[in-house]
Amino acid sequence: MSKEETFTQLIKEHQGLIYKVSALYTEQQQDQNDLYQEIVYQLWKSYDSFRGDAKLSTWMYRVALNTAIGQLKKKKRAPNTVSIDQSVVHIMDDMDTELEERIKVLNAQIKKLNILDRGLILLLLEGKKYEEIAEITGLSHTNVATRISRIKQKLKSKMIKK
Amino acid sequence: MELQELQTLWSQVSEQLEDQKKLTNDIIMKMTQERYANKFSKISVYETFGAIICFMAALYVLFNFGKLEIWYLQLCGLFTFLFLIILPVLTLKSLRNIKQINVAESSFKDTIVLFQKAKNKLLLLQRVGIYLSFLLMLIILPVASKLLKNKDLFLETGVWFIYLPIMGIFLFFFSRWGYGCYKSITNSAENILNELE
Repeated sequence: MSKEETFTQLIKEHQGLIYKVSALYTEQQQDQNDLYQEIVYQLWKSYDSFRGDAKLSTWMYRVALNTAIGQLKKKKRAPNTVSIDQSVVHIMDDMDTELEERIKVLNAQIKKLNILDRGLILLLLEGKKYEEIAEITGLSHTNVATRISRIKQKLKSKMIKK
Repeated sequence: MELQELQTLWSQVSEQLEDQKKLTNDIIMKMTQERYANKFSKISVYETFGAIICFMAALYVLFNFGKLEIWYLQLCGLFTFLFLIILPVLTLKSLRNIKQINVAESSFKDTIVLFQKAKNKLLLLQRVGIYLSFLLMLIILPVASKLLKNKDLFLETGVWFIYLPIMGIFLFFFSRWGYGCYKSITNSAENILNELE
């Protein structure tokens, strides 16, 4: 299998992951599409340097989350990425409304957290163990546990405030 | 929403997303081949273009420095030259620092710290730049007048009566707006930095 084929297979398998990260770190649909593409681009760029020292999913989460952090707030942009944007836009458009609604509810809750906690909760919800979360985030195991416990409290208190 | 509720909803969404997979090989490879200009890349283009203009103007002042015969015009010329060289260089340098973050090697925590610090530095620089630009606008006028029309503007007081009040109003509103933007962005960044360090 060629490098391109392996890569496209990998992206296809993990496109849900990329979608979730881009949805959590953007406010507008256009920004979400931009971030989605940027993550795929960054994964491709660092694909050669991925040596398999870390787990594949660890590497993917790290690149996706780090890329999300590097995005600035929404800026007006020239329509220079139309061809690719449209492709992704169609993917998002085809989602059923029920799913879209669920994603909105979910994101609304998580977006109340700061950028670090958003990443932590995403990894936790993805079923990652504290060890792997610590490896991806660079935080210590204890720190991960403490922060997650605080996030739980925050989510609870935010529910009460509502 | 409790964590358990979030987890249930997340699993449902993840399952449904699995069924929605629609990316084709062609779309994926397009994303990797056509360099998508992210927001910082775009800003860099503007900044680089602006820097080139500044450098050209600085060279013009430098090559014609001899025409600024009087000490106060020379002082204005020197400030103009230094401003047009130093500020663009510093801005490009801090933009480069942001772009140098290695997304594949850095941990999430390190990326947040590096990015927020670099962003704070850039915003501070931009804020200083706003105030210095007003000073530049004030100082570049006599330099340009002397170099382009061979007129000493300091001897023509009428121009200053119009120019200075207009500049003052601009400075007041523009700096208030600039400060507001800077404060809100850096406050949230500082909170995260304090938590991580």
